[in-house]
This record gives sequence, structure tokens and C-alpha cells, in this order.
Amino acid sequence: MPVSATPELVLELIRDHQLLEAPESLTVDTPLLAAGLDSMAVMQLLLHLDDRFGVTLDPPEMNRENLATARTLGDFLAQKAGRMRHAEL
Amino acid sequence: MQSFDVMVAGGGSAGIAAALAASRAGARTLLVERSEQLGGMGANALVHTFCGLFHPDVSKGPQWLNPGIPTEIGQRLLEASGRNKPDLMGRVYVLRHEPAEFARLATSLCAKEPALTVRTGTALVSLERNAEEWRFITNVAGQMTEATARRVVDTTGAAALAALCSPASRVVAEGDKLYRPALVCRITGMAGPLDENAPLQLAAILVRAVRTEDLPATAMGAGFRQSPMRDDEVFMTLDLEGGGEAWNPLDSAAIETVKQDAHKLAQSIWRHLAANHPLFATSDQIIMPDQLGIRESARWKGDYVLTAQDLRESRRFDDEVALAGWPLEFRETARGPKFVYFDKPEPAGIPARSLRTHEVPGMFFAGKCLSCDHEALASVRVMGTCLATGQAAGRLAADA
Repeated sequence: MPVSATPELVLELIRDHQLLEAPESLTVDTPLLAAGLDSMAVMQLLLHLDDRFGVTLDPPEMNRENLATARTLGDFLAQKAGRMRHAEL
Repeated sequence: MQSFDVMVAGGGSAGIAAALAASRAGARTLLVERSEQLGGMGANALVHTFCGLFHPDVSKGPQWLNPGIPTEIGQRLLEASGRNKPDLMGRVYVLRHEPAEFARLATSLCAKEPALTVRTGTALVSLERNAEEWRFITNVAGQMTEATARRVVDTTGAAALAALCSPASRVVAEGDKLYRPALVCRITGMAGPLDENAPLQLAAILVRAVRTEDLPATAMGAGFRQSPMRDDEVFMTLDLEGGGEAWNPLDSAAIETVKQDAHKLAQSIWRHLAANHPLFATSDQIIMPDQLGIRESARWKGDYVLTAQDLRESRRFDDEVALAGWPLEFRETARGPKFVYFDKPEPAGIPARSLRTHEVPGMFFAGKCLSCDHEALASVRVMGTCLATGQAAGRLAADA
């Protein structure tokens, strides 16, 4: 059962799957791309986000703003999930 | 019968630097390359980034790490691409280059050395040491030619000369541990250069295609980089599992299977992107490389085995002949690199003892087959460092 995305859960997912080096030093405000999140790590991240939260980023939503930090990513996914639930009602 | 002071086997980054260094030191030098074009991985496998050329402390801007041929070739490639500095990628500087330009540069630099003879399209079939000299046979279209050299340099990337003359000195890594190979191809006719979000969008398109089973999961080994010289060309690097434990870069059948599968996968990824991303919509061609990108196969066991710990601690040696500055870039899976940086942003030394063994006098080795452990190879295998160790081996061979 997917859970709702939060910045903290996104960070936990990045740490658990070792998508970045030195996971212990990461915070929700660490700039992910500068910290070494390359396109292959991004692919792993998208799969894990989908599995965990039931929501992921579509190609047009893939940009440096949404992927800036675990916070921007978590907030974006939570909002998107909210829009999707709204649309289903 | 022709006789040389130095014979260099393998015309990739390390071999080009070794041959230039030896011939510039006055040694009558022969460079033997089995393919038709010099440049090795950086030309024939379409590898388009030189790593390891710069000091690991990026806070002071890009500083060339190894003087001599590595700096000379790096500067020339930078000039050819019309840029004045390399790219800062995370915590390292990388020089993007055009593979064809590297091949041209290597050929023209070698042609300028009167003491240097280059033989491409030439296979080395035997090598043995007689008294004070090496005797070897080359093969061009069935035509065997015998020649001699006083010293030889192994820059084959696979310690091929150890296989010919001293198998006990050859270290062959196990299949499941070997760094994974890659297929790099060139896509032409792009609608424009990749913008900063394009690699992220491409990643999402591939993930979606894997989820919908339009592409196999192995498509997630793909990464994209803009050509340094042309706005309408990109390179696609496809990291390959290579069959897991079955991967054997010394077995031509295994290489052929992996290569054919990778070609098919690259074609289907390209077609999918052409249908799904506006920049790829106009692309007209995908060009395959002549060779797979092989990151690790076999190497020499020398008088010193350079370790990952030496590199991480930026250890220096009294007999050092080159500097390593690239982080340990582990490639044990096809899911992207894992970087381990040196503890301090300082280079580590590479000792002369890692480029020779007392077991085989008159033999030197450099590039991917220098004497190091599997983990250290994750750093020293990169082409900028290969230029540096190649230069060092060439000088040692000329002086010996």
C-alpha cells in the first residue's frame, strides 16, 4: 500500500537505496544533483518513488526545480498525489 | 630484420603517450596497434571524456595534474573543442572530447616524431626474450614479420604481453567482480543540444518505457552526453551487465554476444526516444563504435601493487613517476558509478615499481594493465591517468 510522500520519506528512500554517497550526511535540503545524483541514479529513484508512493514524475515534470532537494521532490509528489486523488473524486 | 630500442604494444591513451615519450627521449620506437586507428577506448570505443587530467582540488579551478604529454594532449583537445576550460561535474573536472579528434591528434603527434614507427592494423602474435633483447612477430593479413626490441611496453589494456611471455605475472579478475563494460554510440541529426533538464527527462522516458515493457530493464543503463563539438550530436553510453558472472572480456565469443545484444538494445532505445522526445525526433542515425568499452580485464603483477588505500590516503612514493587524481569510480553494476573520493583533495603517487617487475627484465606496463589491486583500478584506469602512466613507462623504457 503506497504511503504519502514527504520530504523525510524521500530522503529515507534515497538513503536506503544508497542512491548517493555518504548517505548519513544528507539532509532534506541537500542539493541532490550537485551531490552526485546522476541520470542513472535518477532512474533508480523514479522506480523507487513509484513503488513506495504510487506516484512518480512524468517526463515534462523532470526538471532541476522539482529534483532540487528531497524537500522539493517530496512536496511536489505530495501535491501531485493530492491532485490525482482530487481528480478521481 | 628490423630492430628497435622500444616496442610499445597497444595504441590507446597509454600506448600513444608511451610511444611519444620513448621516441622523444631518442629511442627508436615501434608502436603496434591491432585496430586500424590509434586512440583505443578514447577513439574506437567512442569514450568521449578524459578523466584524471586535473588536480583533485577543484577549489582552485582546473589545474593540469601531470606535466608533459597528458597536459599537451589535454590542451590540444580542449582547443579543438573551442572551449577554454573543462566541465566541472560534481567534485571533479572532466574534459569532453571528440573521439575522431583524439584519433587525428594521436596520429599527427606520432607522425611528427622521426624516431617513431607506427603500425596500425597489426597484431602481435609472439614475443620472447632472447639474451638481451626481445624477439617478436607481427601479423598483417597473414604476412608474418619478425623484429627485435631491447625493451617492450605493454599498453594493451589486458596484459596481453604477460599472456605471451610470462603468464604467471598476469592477474585476471573474476567475472562477477570485473567492472562492467559499456557500449558508447553516437546519435546524429538531433534537433538541438541537450539542455540541462533533458538528461532528467530522458531518464523518466526510459523508466516509463521499462514499466510499460516497451523496453527491457537493461535500457536503464543508458546515459546521454552532448558532443563537445557539434550541437546536433549526442553520445549515448549504455552500461552493460555483460551477462553477470559470465562476463569474460578475454573471450571473443562472450564479447561478441554482449556486443550484438548491446547493439540491438541501443537501436531500440534510439527508436523509442525518437518517438518520444522532441530533441531526438529529427535524429537520423545511430553510429555504433568499433569496440566495446572495456573497463577491466587482466593486468600485470609488478614489484609493487598499488592499492586503493594508497590512493585514498594520497600516498606519495620516492620512486613515483605519475600522479593519480581521479576518485575510485566503481562500476561493478550497470546501474551507474559509485564514487569514493580520496580522503583529502590531494593527488597520490604511482611508483615506478608498479610499472615493472624484476621477474621480466626489459618489460614495462602502463594504463589499465599496470600493477594495482581491483579497487585501485577504479581510479587509475581512466584515460587521463593512462596518458600519465604511459608517458612514465615510455620514459623508463627509453632510459633503461
